Amino acid sequence: MPSLEGKRSLLIIRIASLFSFLLIWKLASQWMDSSIILPSPEDTLKETWALLLTRGFYQSLGATLLRGITGFFLSMLLGLCVGILAGKSYILREFFRPFLTSIQSTPVLAIILLALIWFPTETVPVFVAFLMGFPIITTNVVEGILAVDRRLIEMTRVFRIEAWKRALYVVLPSILPYLVGGASSALGLSWRVVVASEVLSQPILGIGTGMQEAKLRLETARVFAWTLAALVLSYSTESIFRGVVKRLKRLA
Amino acid sequence: MRVELEKVRFAYGPVTILDRFSARFPSMNVTVLLGPSGCGKTTILNILAGLQIPQEGIVRVGDRSPLDVKVGYIFQDVRLIPWLTVKRNLDLVLPRVVPKEERLHRIRSVMQLVGLEHALSLFPDQLSGGMYRRVGMARAYLFDPDIYLMDESFQGLDPPLKFQLLLMFQQLRSTSPKTTIFVTHDIEEALLVGDEILLLSPIPTRIVHILRNPVPVEERVPGNQEIAKLEGELFALFRKEQLQLGKERV
Repeated sequence: MPSLEGKRSLLIIRIASLFSFLLIWKLASQWMDSSIILPSPEDTLKETWALLLTRGFYQSLGATLLRGITGFFLSMLLGLCVGILAGKSYILREFFRPFLTSIQSTPVLAIILLALIWFPTETVPVFVAFLMGFPIITTNVVEGILAVDRRLIEMTRVFRIEAWKRALYVVLPSILPYLVGGASSALGLSWRVVVASEVLSQPILGIGTGMQEAKLRLETARVFAWTLAALVLSYSTESIFRGVVKRLKRLA
Repeated sequence: MRVELEKVRFAYGPVTILDRFSARFPSMNVTVLLGPSGCGKTTILNILAGLQIPQEGIVRVGDRSPLDVKVGYIFQDVRLIPWLTVKRNLDLVLPRVVPKEERLHRIRSVMQLVGLEHALSLFPDQLSGGMYRRVGMARAYLFDPDIYLMDESFQGLDPPLKFQLLLMFQQLRSTSPKTTIFVTHDIEEALLVGDEILLLSPIPTRIVHILRNPVPVEERVPGNQEIAKLEGELFALFRKEQLQLGKERV
């Protein structure tokens, strides 16, 4: 853990990094001299403030949040079940391997376009978030199961430790770091793919829908404002997730 | 409880470890399986613990199959769960029906027996090598098994600590005598612990010699003259077997 002095230095470095970024942005926007191509940071801030005062913004944020969370939980649920089964059986592992590799290698846009053909508009982002998160969770759980110490499992068998205790005290703590790593990546990815899907599928409400509409009206500052909203959403869910994991670890 | 292996065959792929191997381990005795490394001693223990299933033959513990018997296995590497405290590790082997206060009482009593009542809240990585082994012994004792299996339980310890654990083992044994099968490749250790010593050959394992230990338990201490004499005899047999194997391989 960094010392107080270390924390202060870290804060200074981060503030300096933010200001450098804003300065480059400001200079670039002045050089371009076109708010359609690159609006200035203050125009973007004004637009963001204006967006924050509309009810539609919160409705869109809520809709995107709901889609992302639904897709993420579906991928967690199915990824955990398939991961445990595949981790325990070599045949299932080899059976699922081509599917998982194919999904991970397929371009996200191809999946979104196919989902647009197969599903109603509202379902597309959820399906894409689920499909992109599922292989990450599954492969991480498989790795976790394979990393469980077989010698400890033998010990629990010899001492007739009940199956639920074996799962809780031996298996779960072993797979937890892998599961947390996988879930964190899947969660980060889910916001990117949900917003991309919304841009293409155009549900009634959503950050992606807002972005696309602003782009069609050439309101670049508003596109930036929606992007900022997506960033904040991703960052806050990631922080909440980390907090929950930390708390769970302390409880355990 | 008498333990028997009858014409047992066990192979890891093409490597045959046990081929029609038979042995009897008398009730309440400590029987030592003495043999060179890799001669199949741990495989025999694993079969008796139900961790490995022989391809052929019969395994009897009393009149039951090994899967129906409570086995107190003291593993060579102990195998405590690293993220649980000593207390939680021990608590896991107690049956669900034991009430909470009784559980704590039993854990405290057994830890007192092994001289570690102060270590209940420690994690396995905070224990010294000797403490770690003692917790392993305490866990097996707490489990109240029908038989004990001990796999090189004192290996790698310095002589004073080894002797201390041997005394502890004798003390635990006197409070609860159970059939015990003890695996080692250390001749002196075998004579200090065993009522009967089975000298094993390299794989495929067979019994080369059976020695009933004439030295009473209370006199089995390092430096005992009779133990030293028997050690010499066993060493000669051990060496002869190794030389024989060398000739066969040449």
